[in-house]
Amino acid sequence: MSRPGERKLPHLFKPGHLGRFATPNMIKYGACCVSNYNTRDGYITPRELARTRVIAGTGCGIITNQGAYPDPRGEGKSYFRQVALYDDKFLPQFETIARCIHDAKAVAIQQILHAGRYGGIDLGYCVQPSVVPQTLPHFRPPREMSREDIRRCIAEHVEAAKRAIRAGFDGVEVTSFMGYLLASFNSKFTNQRSDEYGGSIQNRGRFMRELIDCIKQALPEHPLVVRLNGAELMDRWGGNTEDECFELMQQAAGCGVDMISVTVGWQEAPESSIGRDVAPGHWNYLAARAKRECPNTLVAFGNRLPDPRMADDCLAKGEFDYWEVCRPMLADPELVHKAAEDRLDEVRRCIGSLNCLSRVFRDLPYTCTMNPALGHEVEPEYAITPAAVKKKIMVIGAGPAGMEFAITAAKRGHAVTVYEKSERIGGNLIGYAANDLARPEDLQSVVRHYEVMAPKLGVEMKFGVEANAKFMRSVLHQYDVCIVAAGARIDLEAYAHLEGRERLVDALEVARGRVQPGRRVVVIGAGKIGLVVAESLRKNGAEVTLVEADKRIGADVMPTFKWRHNAWVEELGIRVLTSTRLARVTAEGAVVRDAKGQETSIPADTVIASAPRRANQEMFAEFEWMIDELHGCGDALMPRGMDAAIHEGYRLGARI
Amino acid sequence: MSPQSLERFSDLPAWQAMLDRHQPLFEEMLPGSRIGILPRSATSLLPGRRLAGLAAMDLPEGRMLSWEAKEEGMRVGVRSCLRFEEAQVDLLLVPDDAALEAILASLGGDALAVMKKMIRQGNMLFFVMKAKHELQEAGYEDFLDSLGLAFLGACR
Repeated sequence: MSRPGERKLPHLFKPGHLGRFATPNMIKYGACCVSNYNTRDGYITPRELARTRVIAGTGCGIITNQGAYPDPRGEGKSYFRQVALYDDKFLPQFETIARCIHDAKAVAIQQILHAGRYGGIDLGYCVQPSVVPQTLPHFRPPREMSREDIRRCIAEHVEAAKRAIRAGFDGVEVTSFMGYLLASFNSKFTNQRSDEYGGSIQNRGRFMRELIDCIKQALPEHPLVVRLNGAELMDRWGGNTEDECFELMQQAAGCGVDMISVTVGWQEAPESSIGRDVAPGHWNYLAARAKRECPNTLVAFGNRLPDPRMADDCLAKGEFDYWEVCRPMLADPELVHKAAEDRLDEVRRCIGSLNCLSRVFRDLPYTCTMNPALGHEVEPEYAITPAAVKKKIMVIGAGPAGMEFAITAAKRGHAVTVYEKSERIGGNLIGYAANDLARPEDLQSVVRHYEVMAPKLGVEMKFGVEANAKFMRSVLHQYDVCIVAAGARIDLEAYAHLEGRERLVDALEVARGRVQPGRRVVVIGAGKIGLVVAESLRKNGAEVTLVEADKRIGADVMPTFKWRHNAWVEELGIRVLTSTRLARVTAEGAVVRDAKGQETSIPADTVIASAPRRANQEMFAEFEWMIDELHGCGDALMPRGMDAAIHEGYRLGARI
Repeated sequence: MSPQSLERFSDLPAWQAMLDRHQPLFEEMLPGSRIGILPRSATSLLPGRRLAGLAAMDLPEGRMLSWEAKEEGMRVGVRSCLRFEEAQVDLLLVPDDAALEAILASLGGDALAVMKKMIRQGNMLFFVMKAKHELQEAGYEDFLDSLGLAFLGACR
């Protein structure tokens, strides 16, 4: 332990063993999510290999490669571009990946992912222990597996495992995460069989035990990891209780599995397990129980445990053996190195927006809000390289777009000055974060990252400056480039024709605390800004009505978070009027008009406009003849959100 | 299910009146689209117990309530449902006794809002019998949205 951070986190950075393989630390890169970067028929692409090189370089002691489906029919295939491992024809790329991981001195584990009730994505069916339809409309109709199917499925897992070892991997992992095939055999919700594979928990666990036995017999010298639920969160469907989950873990441990990776929740679970609304550390008790009940088996855990300091503490207490982490390293692949070098203040935190999963469930390659280069590692255009010509650059706006641009350009050697009209970094994100019901700290961490990195990279910050033509004349010829990243505003001019428009209040002003609304509030617009403001006001006791012109609320909300807003609106008792528009504002409140033209008066002290939004792009016209290069990014081009702001800021910074 | 509840559950005109009030929700549904409602107490779908199929034995002739989209709009009826495989519905709703009581009590009002609440509280199970693209093509989006059911895998 030579680096300063390693001495501060001694339990995380001590060496360990997985079977006969030594690990340089107690960190396991988890195969949390398939990338969808590969071909439709299961071959690994150069894009994936480039991404894998980044993963190999994360500094983790064990690296798990993403799940491959083991059967030629594709029954186990759950994701559009998931990799396959049912034939030797796939081996060359797996060999490259194993080599990459070994070059980085890590232990290489290949995950086998048969998705069971979530599988068969290219087929008209999926396979399960019994015919129990899914509870979400995303999957394929189920077929019951015969005993012969079960035997064949186990044999295919064994062949895939042997193939992984032939490719150079040190061990394999079988996942029952999220309700995949193994989980559906274990569960009393989805396993209704009356033969030896169903009924009692011993019988339900038989498939798992046979799977473990067969793989261990075939590969006795190689470690086998099984991912198992500590909690399914499927109680209301008659799923396994936590006690049953741990009984199944004991069965796995009894079969000689080398490591149990403890996970939480099914895809169909009605509660959060990894979202922003779950506090870090919330699920640690499951890992601690797994360790108590399976003391002789290694336990890996990391669900909603993004902070290395927390992980080190858990390891010190013996709650688990390996910190299993993935999503935080999608956001910042340097996380472990920064921890080792005592630079944790520089970490880009995973903010739990689940952009990654939102995209995967749309059959798109995953990306990360916080890491614009994720998935683009193969493209030189996304690499941060020294600028050929060092330029003096001014940035208008210190929101995520402007700041992302600023730190990226500064890393490349440009001299960057940011002009901001307010007194701090963050832009509209500050108000949004302050009112967020999930976890304001996650969003605030984005602002803090820029506050830390700007001075470290020598970005000059100038606050309290209103950028306009007069200001531009005052700095004429001082800069080579101007970046307009001035964000967007609520377009109050859209209400210019309405009676009482002068009574309308700007939602962003409310969010920033500059305007104090009354106790009875009408919020016009139920997009993410309107929702966040309405929820926050309601939580603080106001009586709130949301008025939305569209048929549904939350049109601009991330798909994996939309359900949360719907639930909050309902739980908080916010009245929602959809397909309804503001007709006028009076001293008594708002008058709204529905799709049939019927008007309704809503008594209110304050009527807040949160939509539509308008890009602050007037500066483009004013500045065009005042500077050599003029560019825009983020909401200043088109109002969207933080994801687009960060990504555009980065892309522009990487190429200018 | 009590005899009184059973009687009200079988009161097709009351269900039809409720559906008639919500016809705009079903306007985009293709004819033949079908939703089933099966009281949980009439099945073996009990919390914490192993499932053994649907077997709606307590219902007259082992049948479930069905809503079927027809040219003239969503119509209520009854269908056989002894196993998932035989259900022949796109979406199967399984309310427990408390949910059923609440829904039956609200048939003259906003029963769909009550159903949404019951799903969220876990008093009403739902099973999706068709793939997402099939439901989308059949025009289910508005209806599923009204029940608060996401169109995507959650992975929350």
